[in-house]
Amino acid sequence: TLCFQAFLQMCNLPIRVVCRANAEYMSPSGKLPFIHVGNQVVSELGPIVQFVKAKGHSLSDGLDEVQKAEMKAYMELVNNMLLTAELYLQWCDDVTVEEITHPRYGSPYPWPLNRILSYQKQWEVRRKMKAIGWAGKTLAQVLEDVDQCCQALSQRLGTQPYFFNKQPTELDALVFGHLFTILTTQLTTDELSEKVKNYSNLTAFCRRIEQQYFEGHDKDSSATVTAQSAKRSLLR
Amino acid sequence: MAAPMELSCWGGDWGLPSLHPESLTVMAYAKFSGAPLTVNTINSSWRAPKGDVPVLISKDVVISQPARILNFLRKQKYNADYELSAKQGADTLAYIALLEEKLLPALLHTFWVEAENYCSVTKPWFASRIPFPLSLYLPGKMSREALNRILLTRGGPPLYSLTEVEAQIYRDAKECLNLLSKRLGTSQFFFGDTPTTLDAFVFGFLAPIYKVCFPRVQLQEHLKQLPNLCRFCDDVLTCYFRLTVSGHSPAGQDTADANLQKLTQLVNKESNLIEKMDDNLRKSPQHPPRKLTTLKLAAGGEESSPLNRLSP
Repeated sequence: TLCFQAFLQMCNLPIRVVCRANAEYMSPSGKLPFIHVGNQVVSELGPIVQFVKAKGHSLSDGLDEVQKAEMKAYMELVNNMLLTAELYLQWCDDVTVEEITHPRYGSPYPWPLNRILSYQKQWEVRRKMKAIGWAGKTLAQVLEDVDQCCQALSQRLGTQPYFFNKQPTELDALVFGHLFTILTTQLTTDELSEKVKNYSNLTAFCRRIEQQYFEGHDKDSSATVTAQSAKRSLLR
Repeated sequence: MAAPMELSCWGGDWGLPSLHPESLTVMAYAKFSGAPLTVNTINSSWRAPKGDVPVLISKDVVISQPARILNFLRKQKYNADYELSAKQGADTLAYIALLEEKLLPALLHTFWVEAENYCSVTKPWFASRIPFPLSLYLPGKMSREALNRILLTRGGPPLYSLTEVEAQIYRDAKECLNLLSKRLGTSQFFFGDTPTTLDAFVFGFLAPIYKVCFPRVQLQEHLKQLPNLCRFCDDVLTCYFRLTVSGHSPAGQDTADANLQKLTQLVNKESNLIEKMDDNLRKSPQHPPRKLTTLKLAAGGEESSPLNRLSP
Protein backbone atom coordinates (compact mmCIF):
# COMPACT_ATOMS: atom_id res chain seq x y z
CA THR A 1 0.00 0.00 0.00
CA LEU A 2 2.83 2.26 0.91
CA CYS A 3 4.26 2.38 -2.59
CA PHE A 4 0.99 3.80 -3.88
CA GLN A 5 0.85 6.41 -1.17
CA ALA A 6 4.47 7.31 -1.88
CA PHE A 7 3.83 7.53 -5.61
CA LEU A 8 0.79 9.75 -5.18
CA GLN A 9 2.61 11.94 -2.68
CA MET A 10 5.46 12.28 -5.13
CA CYS A 11 3.03 13.51 -7.73
CA ASN A 12 1.77 16.01 -5.16
CA LEU A 13 -1.72 14.60 -5.19
CA PRO A 14 -3.61 14.67 -1.89
CA ILE A 15 -4.93 11.31 -0.70
CA ARG A 16 -6.89 9.88 2.19
CA VAL A 17 -6.28 6.36 3.43
CA VAL A 18 -9.27 4.30 4.48
CA CYS A 19 -9.31 0.74 5.78
CA ARG A 20 -12.25 -1.46 4.93
CA ALA A 21 -12.88 -5.11 5.64
CA ASN A 22 -14.38 -5.86 2.25
CA ALA A 23 -11.75 -3.92 0.37
CA GLU A 24 -10.77 -6.92 -1.75
CA TYR A 25 -14.28 -7.20 -3.07
CA MET A 26 -14.63 -3.50 -3.79
CA SER A 27 -11.57 -3.47 -5.96
CA PRO A 28 -12.23 -4.01 -9.67
CA SER A 29 -9.37 -6.46 -10.02
CA GLY A 30 -9.66 -8.11 -6.64
CA LYS A 31 -6.28 -6.73 -5.71
CA LEU A 32 -5.48 -4.17 -3.11
CA PRO A 33 -5.02 -1.29 -2.87
CA PHE A 34 -7.13 0.73 -5.19
CA ILE A 35 -7.97 4.39 -5.54
CA HIS A 36 -11.39 5.90 -5.74
CA VAL A 37 -11.48 9.17 -7.63
CA GLY A 38 -14.79 10.88 -8.34
CA ASN A 39 -16.76 8.06 -9.89
CA GLN A 40 -13.78 6.04 -11.11
CA VAL A 41 -12.10 3.17 -9.37
CA VAL A 42 -8.63 2.08 -10.43
CA SER A 43 -6.50 -0.66 -8.90
CA GLU A 44 -2.93 -1.95 -9.22
CA LEU A 45 0.18 0.09 -9.78
CA GLY A 46 0.32 -0.14 -13.58
CA PRO A 47 -3.19 1.15 -14.26
CA ILE A 48 -2.94 3.75 -11.48
CA VAL A 49 0.25 5.14 -13.00
CA GLN A 50 -1.41 5.36 -16.39
CA PHE A 51 -4.52 6.93 -14.91
CA VAL A 52 -2.44 9.58 -13.17
CA LYS A 53 -0.46 10.12 -16.34
CA ALA A 54 -3.65 10.66 -18.32
CA LYS A 55 -4.61 13.34 -15.83
CA GLY A 56 -1.36 15.12 -16.56
CA HIS A 57 1.00 14.00 -13.81
CA SER A 58 3.92 11.77 -14.68
CA LEU A 59 7.16 11.09 -12.90
CA SER A 60 9.10 9.41 -15.67
CA ASP A 61 8.83 11.96 -18.47
CA GLY A 62 12.39 13.06 -18.07
CA LEU A 63 13.79 9.59 -18.83
CA ASP A 64 15.02 8.52 -22.25
CA GLU A 65 14.01 5.21 -23.86
CA VAL A 66 16.87 3.13 -22.49
CA GLN A 67 16.28 4.47 -18.97
CA LYS A 68 12.60 3.71 -19.20
CA ALA A 69 13.46 0.15 -20.24
CA GLU A 70 15.78 -0.08 -17.22
CA MET A 71 13.12 1.27 -14.91
CA LYS A 72 10.59 -1.30 -16.11
CA ALA A 73 13.17 -4.06 -15.70
CA TYR A 74 13.94 -3.02 -12.12
CA MET A 75 10.26 -2.80 -11.28
CA GLU A 76 9.84 -6.37 -12.51
CA LEU A 77 12.82 -7.42 -10.40
CA VAL A 78 11.23 -5.91 -7.30
CA ASN A 79 7.89 -7.53 -8.08
CA ASN A 80 9.47 -10.84 -8.90
CA MET A 81 11.83 -11.10 -5.93
CA LEU A 82 10.62 -8.94 -3.09
CA LEU A 83 6.91 -9.40 -3.55
CA THR A 84 7.20 -13.15 -3.96
CA ALA A 85 9.54 -13.38 -0.99
CA GLU A 86 7.10 -11.39 1.15
CA LEU A 87 4.26 -13.67 0.07
CA TYR A 88 6.39 -16.74 0.76
CA LEU A 89 7.29 -15.53 4.21
CA GLN A 90 3.73 -14.66 5.04
CA TRP A 91 2.06 -17.79 3.76
CA CYS A 92 4.55 -20.62 3.28
CA ASP A 93 6.70 -20.36 6.37
CA ASP A 94 4.76 -22.36 8.94
CA VAL A 95 5.86 -20.47 12.03
CA THR A 96 4.97 -17.06 10.61
CA VAL A 97 1.69 -18.37 9.25
CA GLU A 98 0.53 -19.71 12.58
CA GLU A 99 1.57 -16.83 14.76
CA ILE A 100 1.00 -13.79 12.61
CA THR A 101 -0.66 -14.21 9.27
CA HIS A 102 -3.70 -16.30 10.17
CA PRO A 103 -4.76 -14.08 13.09
CA ARG A 104 -4.13 -10.90 11.12
CA TYR A 105 -5.88 -11.98 7.92
CA GLY A 106 -8.86 -13.42 9.70
CA SER A 107 -9.26 -10.69 12.29
CA PRO A 108 -12.21 -8.81 10.78
CA TYR A 109 -14.30 -11.96 10.60
CA PRO A 110 -15.97 -14.14 13.24
CA TRP A 111 -14.99 -17.76 13.75
CA PRO A 112 -15.06 -20.03 11.71
CA LEU A 113 -15.01 -17.69 8.74
CA ASN A 114 -11.63 -16.30 9.68
CA ARG A 115 -10.01 -19.74 9.62
CA ILE A 116 -11.68 -20.75 6.37
CA LEU A 117 -10.74 -17.58 4.54
CA SER A 118 -7.15 -17.63 5.67
CA TYR A 119 -6.73 -21.29 4.76
CA GLN A 120 -8.20 -20.58 1.36
CA LYS A 121 -5.79 -17.72 0.79
CA GLN A 122 -2.90 -19.86 1.98
CA TRP A 123 -3.82 -22.63 -0.42
CA GLU A 124 -4.02 -20.14 -3.27
CA VAL A 125 -0.60 -18.68 -2.50
CA ARG A 126 1.00 -22.11 -2.17
CA ARG A 127 -0.39 -23.14 -5.54
CA LYS A 128 1.14 -20.08 -7.12
CA MET A 129 4.49 -20.75 -5.47
CA LYS A 130 4.45 -24.28 -6.82
CA ALA A 131 3.73 -23.06 -10.35
CA ILE A 132 6.67 -20.69 -10.41
CA GLY A 133 9.05 -23.12 -8.76
CA TRP A 134 9.38 -21.46 -5.36
CA ALA A 135 7.69 -24.27 -3.46
CA GLY A 136 10.93 -26.22 -3.29
CA LYS A 137 12.86 -23.32 -1.79
CA THR A 138 13.84 -23.28 1.82
CA LEU A 139 13.62 -20.13 3.90
CA ALA A 140 17.41 -19.75 3.67
CA GLN A 141 17.26 -19.77 -0.11
CA VAL A 142 14.47 -17.21 -0.16
CA LEU A 143 16.47 -14.94 2.14
CA GLU A 144 19.47 -15.35 -0.13
CA ASP A 145 17.37 -14.28 -3.12
CA VAL A 146 16.16 -11.24 -1.20
CA ASP A 147 19.76 -10.43 -0.36
CA GLN A 148 20.74 -10.62 -4.02
CA CYS A 149 17.87 -8.37 -4.97
CA CYS A 150 18.76 -5.82 -2.30
CA GLN A 151 22.37 -5.93 -3.42
CA ALA A 152 21.30 -5.19 -6.99
CA LEU A 153 19.09 -2.31 -5.84
CA SER A 154 21.83 -0.96 -3.60
CA GLN A 155 24.36 -1.06 -6.42
CA ARG A 156 21.96 0.62 -8.80
CA LEU A 157 21.16 3.35 -6.27
CA GLY A 158 24.81 3.96 -5.42
CA THR A 159 25.19 7.38 -3.83
CA GLN A 160 22.39 9.07 -5.75
CA PRO A 161 19.35 10.42 -3.91
CA TYR A 162 16.91 8.55 -6.18
CA PHE A 163 17.27 5.71 -8.66
CA PHE A 164 17.28 8.00 -11.65
CA ASN A 165 19.30 10.79 -10.20
CA LYS A 166 17.48 13.90 -9.05
CA GLN A 167 13.84 13.10 -9.64
CA PRO A 168 11.83 10.37 -7.96
CA THR A 169 10.09 7.94 -10.28
CA GLU A 170 7.64 5.05 -10.00
CA LEU A 171 10.56 2.76 -9.23
CA ASP A 172 11.46 4.82 -6.14
CA ALA A 173 7.88 4.62 -4.90
CA LEU A 174 7.73 0.87 -5.44
CA VAL A 175 11.07 0.17 -3.77
CA PHE A 176 10.23 2.44 -0.85
CA GLY A 177 6.89 0.71 -0.33
CA HIS A 178 8.42 -2.76 -0.18
CA LEU A 179 11.52 -1.91 1.83
CA PHE A 180 9.67 0.18 4.38
CA THR A 181 7.16 -2.61 4.91
CA ILE A 182 9.96 -5.11 5.39
CA LEU A 183 11.80 -2.86 7.78
CA THR A 184 8.84 -2.00 9.96
CA THR A 185 6.65 -5.10 10.04
CA GLN A 186 6.95 -7.29 13.10
CA LEU A 187 7.64 -10.89 12.17
CA THR A 188 8.77 -13.90 14.16
CA THR A 189 12.32 -13.48 12.94
CA ASP A 190 14.16 -10.34 12.05
CA GLU A 191 16.19 -11.98 9.33
CA LEU A 192 14.40 -10.31 6.45
CA SER A 193 14.80 -6.81 7.84
CA GLU A 194 18.41 -7.59 8.77
CA LYS A 195 19.11 -8.39 5.11
CA VAL A 196 17.82 -5.00 4.09
CA LYS A 197 19.61 -3.21 6.91
CA ASN A 198 22.91 -4.55 5.59
CA TYR A 199 22.68 -1.98 2.82
CA SER A 200 23.01 1.41 4.41
CA ASN A 201 22.17 3.39 1.30
CA LEU A 202 18.84 1.59 1.07
CA THR A 203 17.88 2.43 4.67
CA ALA A 204 18.97 6.03 4.14
CA PHE A 205 16.85 6.12 0.99
CA CYS A 206 13.77 4.92 2.90
CA ARG A 207 14.29 7.42 5.68
CA ARG A 208 14.75 10.25 3.21
CA ILE A 209 11.52 9.47 1.38
CA GLU A 210 9.66 9.02 4.62
CA GLN A 211 10.78 12.41 5.87
CA GLN A 212 10.16 14.16 2.62
CA TYR A 213 6.77 12.79 1.69
CA PHE A 214 5.19 11.49 4.86
CA GLU A 215 5.45 14.36 7.30
CA GLY A 216 1.73 14.05 7.88
CA HIS A 217 2.28 10.47 9.06
CA ASP A 218 0.84 11.26 12.50
CA LYS A 219 -2.35 12.48 10.92
CA ASP A 220 -2.57 9.26 8.88
CA SER A 221 -2.16 7.00 11.89
CA SER A 222 -4.95 8.74 13.77
CA ALA A 223 -7.16 8.26 10.70
CA THR A 224 -6.47 4.51 10.71
CA VAL A 225 -7.38 4.27 14.41
CA THR A 226 -10.80 5.75 13.77
CA ALA A 227 -11.21 3.47 10.76
CA GLN A 228 -10.53 0.39 12.93
CA SER A 229 -13.29 1.33 15.35
CA ALA A 230 -15.59 2.07 12.44
CA LYS A 231 -14.84 -1.41 11.07
CA ARG A 232 -15.89 -3.10 14.29
CA SER A 233 -19.16 -1.22 14.35
CA LEU A 234 -19.77 -2.39 10.74
CA LEU A 235 -19.77 -5.98 11.92
CA ARG A 236 -22.51 -5.53 14.49
CA MET B 1 40.72 -28.29 -14.38
CA ALA B 2 37.50 -29.29 -12.68
CA ALA B 3 35.70 -32.60 -12.65
CA PRO B 4 34.04 -33.41 -15.97
CA MET B 5 30.61 -31.85 -16.20
CA GLU B 6 27.68 -33.36 -17.99
CA LEU B 7 24.56 -31.49 -19.00
CA SER B 8 21.33 -33.29 -19.71
CA CYS B 9 18.93 -31.27 -21.77
CA TRP B 10 16.48 -31.27 -24.61
CA GLY B 11 17.94 -31.49 -28.08
CA GLY B 12 17.56 -29.07 -30.93
CA ASP B 13 16.18 -28.59 -34.36
CA TRP B 14 15.68 -25.84 -36.94
CA GLY B 15 19.28 -24.80 -36.57
CA LEU B 16 19.20 -24.52 -32.78
CA PRO B 17 21.19 -26.66 -30.35
CA SER B 18 18.12 -26.94 -28.16
CA LEU B 19 14.44 -26.04 -28.27
CA HIS B 20 14.05 -25.59 -24.56
CA PRO B 21 14.74 -22.00 -23.43
CA GLU B 22 16.36 -22.94 -20.14
CA SER B 23 18.58 -25.60 -21.71
CA LEU B 24 19.59 -23.12 -24.38
CA THR B 25 20.47 -20.52 -21.76
CA VAL B 26 22.79 -22.92 -19.95
CA MET B 27 24.43 -24.09 -23.17
CA ALA B 28 24.98 -20.52 -24.32
CA TYR B 29 26.51 -19.53 -20.99
CA ALA B 30 28.83 -22.52 -21.09
CA LYS B 31 30.03 -21.46 -24.54
CA PHE B 32 30.48 -17.85 -23.50
CA SER B 33 32.48 -18.70 -20.41
CA GLY B 34 34.43 -21.53 -22.03
CA ALA B 35 33.20 -24.20 -19.65
CA PRO B 36 33.85 -27.71 -20.99
CA LEU B 37 30.43 -29.33 -20.87
CA THR B 38 29.48 -32.63 -22.38
CA VAL B 39 25.96 -32.19 -23.59
CA ASN B 40 23.68 -35.19 -23.51
CA THR B 41 20.48 -34.58 -25.33
CA ILE B 42 17.56 -36.54 -24.08
CA ASN B 43 16.51 -39.10 -26.62
CA SER B 44 14.36 -42.15 -26.66
CA SER B 45 16.81 -44.40 -24.89
CA TRP B 46 15.47 -45.66 -21.64
CA ARG B 47 17.09 -42.98 -19.46
CA ALA B 48 14.02 -40.86 -18.95
CA PRO B 49 14.41 -37.22 -17.87
CA LYS B 50 14.13 -37.03 -14.12
CA GLY B 51 12.85 -33.86 -12.58
CA ASP B 52 13.56 -30.49 -14.08
CA VAL B 53 15.56 -30.27 -17.24
CA PRO B 54 18.33 -29.04 -17.74
CA VAL B 55 20.32 -30.98 -15.19
CA LEU B 56 24.03 -30.57 -14.59
CA ILE B 57 25.91 -33.54 -13.17
CA SER B 58 29.46 -33.11 -11.92
CA LYS B 59 30.93 -35.95 -9.87
CA ASP B 60 28.05 -36.51 -7.47
CA VAL B 61 26.60 -33.03 -7.49
CA VAL B 62 23.27 -32.71 -9.28
CA ILE B 63 21.97 -29.22 -9.97
CA SER B 64 18.79 -28.42 -11.76
CA GLN B 65 17.66 -24.84 -12.29
CA PRO B 66 19.45 -22.55 -14.76
CA ALA B 67 20.22 -19.89 -12.16
CA ARG B 68 21.75 -22.48 -9.83
CA ILE B 69 23.68 -24.14 -12.68
CA LEU B 70 25.13 -20.78 -13.67
CA ASN B 71 26.11 -20.09 -10.06
CA PHE B 72 27.86 -23.44 -9.91
CA LEU B 73 29.76 -22.72 -13.13
CA ARG B 74 30.82 -19.35 -11.77
CA LYS B 75 32.15 -20.99 -8.62
CA GLN B 76 34.18 -23.32 -10.85
CA LYS B 77 35.77 -20.17 -12.27
CA TYR B 78 33.83 -20.16 -15.54
CA ASN B 79 32.63 -16.63 -15.23
CA ALA B 80 31.34 -14.71 -18.22
CA ASP B 81 30.57 -11.64 -16.11
CA TYR B 82 34.10 -11.02 -15.04
CA GLU B 83 34.37 -7.61 -16.63
CA LEU B 84 31.01 -6.26 -15.59
CA SER B 85 30.70 -3.41 -13.13
CA ALA B 86 28.49 -3.76 -10.06
CA LYS B 87 25.76 -1.69 -11.68
CA GLN B 88 25.83 -3.85 -14.81
CA GLY B 89 25.51 -6.93 -12.62
CA ALA B 90 22.44 -5.36 -11.02
CA ASP B 91 21.04 -4.53 -14.46
CA THR B 92 21.51 -8.19 -15.44
CA LEU B 93 19.30 -9.35 -12.57
CA ALA B 94 16.66 -6.78 -13.41
CA TYR B 95 16.50 -7.66 -17.10
CA ILE B 96 16.35 -11.38 -16.33
CA ALA B 97 13.37 -10.68 -14.06
CA LEU B 98 11.78 -8.72 -16.91
CA LEU B 99 12.26 -11.66 -19.28
CA GLU B 100 10.76 -14.14 -16.84
CA GLU B 101 7.76 -11.99 -16.00
CA LYS B 102 6.88 -10.59 -19.40
CA LEU B 103 8.30 -12.84 -22.10
CA LEU B 104 8.18 -16.31 -20.60
CA PRO B 105 4.36 -16.58 -20.34
CA ALA B 106 3.96 -15.80 -24.03
CA LEU B 107 6.78 -18.19 -24.92
CA LEU B 108 5.16 -20.97 -22.92
CA HIS B 109 1.85 -20.17 -24.55
CA THR B 110 3.25 -20.31 -28.08
CA PHE B 111 4.89 -23.66 -27.42
CA TRP B 112 2.52 -25.47 -25.12
CA VAL B 113 -0.91 -23.92 -24.96
CA GLU B 114 -1.72 -22.63 -28.44
CA ALA B 115 -3.64 -25.63 -29.75
CA GLU B 116 -2.43 -25.63 -33.34
CA ASN B 117 1.21 -25.15 -32.39
CA TYR B 118 1.10 -27.75 -29.66
CA CYS B 119 -0.59 -30.45 -31.72
CA SER B 120 1.31 -30.03 -34.92
CA VAL B 121 4.79 -29.16 -33.71
CA THR B 122 5.57 -29.30 -30.01
CA LYS B 123 3.89 -32.54 -28.99
CA PRO B 124 5.22 -34.71 -31.84
CA TRP B 125 8.70 -33.26 -31.46
CA PHE B 126 8.95 -33.91 -27.73
CA ALA B 127 7.14 -37.23 -27.95
CA SER B 128 9.69 -38.47 -30.46
CA ARG B 129 12.43 -37.79 -27.97
CA ILE B 130 10.94 -39.38 -24.90
CA PRO B 131 10.87 -43.15 -24.43
CA PHE B 132 7.54 -44.90 -24.79
CA PRO B 133 5.29 -45.05 -22.74
CA LEU B 134 6.29 -41.77 -21.10
CA SER B 135 5.89 -40.07 -24.44
CA LEU B 136 2.16 -40.51 -24.10
CA TYR B 137 2.06 -38.75 -20.77
CA LEU B 138 4.92 -36.28 -20.41
CA PRO B 139 4.12 -33.77 -23.18
CA GLY B 140 0.56 -33.49 -21.86
CA LYS B 141 1.89 -32.89 -18.37
CA MET B 142 4.28 -30.19 -19.57
CA SER B 143 1.43 -28.53 -21.41
CA ARG B 144 -0.78 -28.54 -18.34
CA GLU B 145 2.03 -27.14 -16.20
CA ALA B 146 2.60 -24.34 -18.69
CA LEU B 147 -1.08 -23.41 -18.72
CA ASN B 148 -1.18 -23.56 -14.95
CA ARG B 149 1.77 -21.27 -14.63
CA ILE B 150 0.30 -18.74 -17.03
CA LEU B 151 -3.08 -18.71 -15.33
CA LEU B 152 -1.74 -18.56 -11.80
CA THR B 153 0.71 -15.76 -12.41
CA ARG B 154 -1.22 -13.68 -14.90
CA GLY B 155 -4.76 -14.89 -14.90
CA GLY B 156 -6.35 -13.10 -11.98
CA PRO B 157 -9.28 -10.69 -12.32
CA PRO B 158 -10.02 -8.41 -14.22
CA LEU B 159 -8.96 -10.93 -16.87
CA TYR B 160 -11.62 -13.56 -16.65
CA SER B 161 -11.31 -15.62 -19.79
CA LEU B 162 -8.36 -17.38 -21.35
CA THR B 163 -8.55 -15.20 -24.47
CA GLU B 164 -8.19 -12.05 -22.40
CA VAL B 165 -5.21 -13.51 -20.57
CA GLU B 166 -3.68 -14.52 -23.89
CA ALA B 167 -4.16 -11.04 -25.34
CA GLN B 168 -2.55 -9.49 -22.28
CA ILE B 169 0.48 -11.80 -22.20
CA TYR B 170 1.19 -11.25 -25.89
CA ARG B 171 0.94 -7.49 -25.40
CA ASP B 172 3.41 -7.74 -22.53
CA ALA B 173 5.75 -9.96 -24.55
CA LYS B 174 5.79 -7.54 -27.47
CA GLU B 175 6.50 -4.67 -25.10
CA CYS B 176 9.31 -6.68 -23.55
CA LEU B 177 10.82 -7.35 -26.99
CA ASN B 178 10.65 -3.64 -27.79
CA LEU B 179 12.39 -2.78 -24.52
CA LEU B 180 15.13 -5.32 -25.18
CA SER B 181 15.64 -3.97 -28.66
CA LYS B 182 15.98 -0.42 -27.31
CA ARG B 183 18.42 -1.58 -24.68
CA LEU B 184 20.55 -3.52 -27.18
CA GLY B 185 20.64 -0.64 -29.67
CA THR B 186 23.47 -1.10 -32.11
CA SER B 187 26.00 -2.85 -29.91
CA GLN B 188 26.90 -6.45 -30.52
CA PHE B 189 26.04 -7.74 -27.06
CA PHE B 190 24.19 -6.20 -24.18
CA PHE B 191 27.27 -5.09 -22.31
CA GLY B 192 29.73 -4.22 -25.05
CA ASP B 193 31.72 -6.67 -27.12
CA THR B 194 31.79 -9.77 -24.95
CA PRO B 195 28.73 -11.85 -24.13
CA THR B 196 27.61 -12.22 -20.52
CA THR B 197 24.93 -13.95 -18.47
CA LEU B 198 22.26 -11.56 -19.73
CA ASP B 199 23.15 -12.40 -23.33
CA ALA B 200 22.81 -16.10 -22.49
CA PHE B 201 19.33 -15.59 -21.02
CA VAL B 202 18.13 -13.34 -23.83
CA PHE B 203 19.46 -15.77 -26.42
CA GLY B 204 17.84 -18.70 -24.61
CA PHE B 205 14.44 -17.01 -24.68
CA LEU B 206 14.60 -15.38 -28.11
CA ALA B 207 16.15 -18.09 -30.26
CA PRO B 208 13.26 -20.58 -29.97
CA ILE B 209 10.79 -17.83 -30.89
CA TYR B 210 12.98 -16.80 -33.79
CA LYS B 211 13.79 -20.13 -35.33
CA VAL B 212 11.09 -22.67 -34.64
CA CYS B 213 8.51 -22.87 -37.43
CA PHE B 214 5.06 -22.78 -35.94
CA PRO B 215 1.72 -22.39 -37.69
CA ARG B 216 0.73 -19.52 -35.36
CA VAL B 217 3.61 -17.08 -35.21
CA GLN B 218 2.53 -13.65 -34.00
CA LEU B 219 5.47 -13.37 -31.63
CA GLN B 220 7.95 -14.41 -34.30
CA GLU B 221 6.56 -11.83 -36.70
CA HIS B 222 6.96 -9.14 -34.08
CA LEU B 223 10.51 -10.28 -33.37
CA LYS B 224 11.39 -10.14 -37.05
CA GLN B 225 10.47 -6.45 -37.05
CA LEU B 226 13.30 -5.85 -34.57
CA PRO B 227 16.38 -6.45 -36.74
CA ASN B 228 18.96 -5.88 -34.02
CA LEU B 229 17.54 -8.73 -31.92
CA CYS B 230 17.51 -11.06 -34.96
CA ARG B 231 21.07 -10.08 -35.73
CA PHE B 232 21.99 -10.80 -32.10
CA CYS B 233 20.56 -14.34 -32.27
CA ASP B 234 22.24 -15.05 -35.58
CA ASP B 235 25.58 -13.76 -34.29
CA VAL B 236 25.50 -16.02 -31.25
CA LEU B 237 24.50 -19.01 -33.36
CA THR B 238 27.22 -18.54 -35.94
CA CYS B 239 29.97 -17.60 -33.52
CA TYR B 240 29.34 -19.97 -30.67
CA PHE B 241 27.23 -22.78 -31.95
CA ARG B 242 28.77 -23.85 -35.19
CA LEU B 243 27.03 -27.14 -35.79
CA THR B 244 28.67 -29.74 -38.01
CA VAL B 245 26.73 -31.52 -40.74
CA SER B 246 25.53 -34.24 -38.37
CA GLY B 247 24.08 -31.61 -36.04
CA HIS B 248 26.48 -32.18 -33.15
CA SER B 249 28.89 -29.42 -32.14
CA PRO B 250 32.58 -30.40 -32.22
CA ALA B 251 33.80 -30.86 -28.70
CA GLY B 252 37.08 -29.41 -27.53
CA GLN B 253 37.98 -27.02 -30.29
CA ASP B 254 35.08 -24.69 -29.56
CA THR B 255 36.95 -21.99 -27.67
CA ALA B 256 39.76 -21.82 -30.19
CA ASP B 257 37.27 -21.60 -33.01
CA ALA B 258 35.25 -19.00 -31.18
CA ASN B 259 38.34 -16.84 -30.73
CA LEU B 260 39.23 -17.25 -34.36
CA GLN B 261 35.71 -16.24 -35.31
CA LYS B 262 35.94 -13.16 -33.09
CA LEU B 263 39.27 -12.22 -34.63
CA THR B 264 37.94 -12.67 -38.16
CA GLN B 265 34.95 -10.54 -37.30
CA LEU B 266 37.15 -7.78 -35.93
CA VAL B 267 39.36 -7.83 -39.02
CA ASN B 268 36.28 -7.71 -41.22
CA LYS B 269 34.92 -4.79 -39.25
CA GLU B 270 38.19 -2.92 -39.61
CA SER B 271 38.29 -3.50 -43.32
CA ASN B 272 34.70 -2.34 -43.61
CA LEU B 273 35.61 0.82 -41.75
CA ILE B 274 38.55 1.46 -44.03
CA GLU B 275 36.31 0.96 -47.05
CA LYS B 276 33.78 3.39 -45.65
CA MET B 277 36.44 6.00 -44.92
CA ASP B 278 37.76 5.61 -48.38
CA ASP B 279 34.28 6.02 -49.86
CA ASN B 280 33.73 9.14 -47.81
CA LEU B 281 37.01 10.62 -48.95
CA ARG B 282 36.18 10.05 -52.58
CA LYS B 283 32.60 11.23 -52.31
CA SER B 284 33.34 14.44 -50.39
CA PRO B 285 32.70 17.59 -52.46
CA GLN B 286 35.42 19.29 -54.50
CA HIS B 287 35.61 22.47 -52.38
CA PRO B 288 39.34 22.60 -51.64
CA PRO B 289 41.63 24.32 -54.23
CA ARG B 290 43.41 22.45 -56.95
CA LYS B 291 46.57 21.71 -55.01
CA LEU B 292 44.65 19.69 -52.48
CA THR B 293 42.63 17.97 -55.19
CA THR B 294 45.77 16.43 -56.58
CA LEU B 295 46.85 15.39 -53.10
CA LYS B 296 43.45 13.78 -52.52
CA LEU B 297 43.62 11.89 -55.76
CA ALA B 298 47.02 10.60 -54.80
CA ALA B 299 45.70 9.58 -51.39
CA GLY B 300 42.74 7.93 -53.13
CA GLY B 301 45.18 6.06 -55.35
CA GLU B 302 47.19 4.85 -52.36
CA GLU B 303 44.07 3.71 -50.54
CA SER B 304 42.67 1.84 -53.48
CA SER B 305 45.57 -0.60 -53.80
CA PRO B 306 45.23 -2.05 -50.25
CA LEU B 307 41.49 -2.06 -50.87
CA ASN B 308 41.98 -4.25 -53.89
CA ARG B 309 44.03 -6.63 -51.80
CA LEU B 310 41.37 -6.86 -49.11
CA SER B 311 38.29 -7.29 -51.21
CA PRO B 312 37.78 -10.82 -52.46
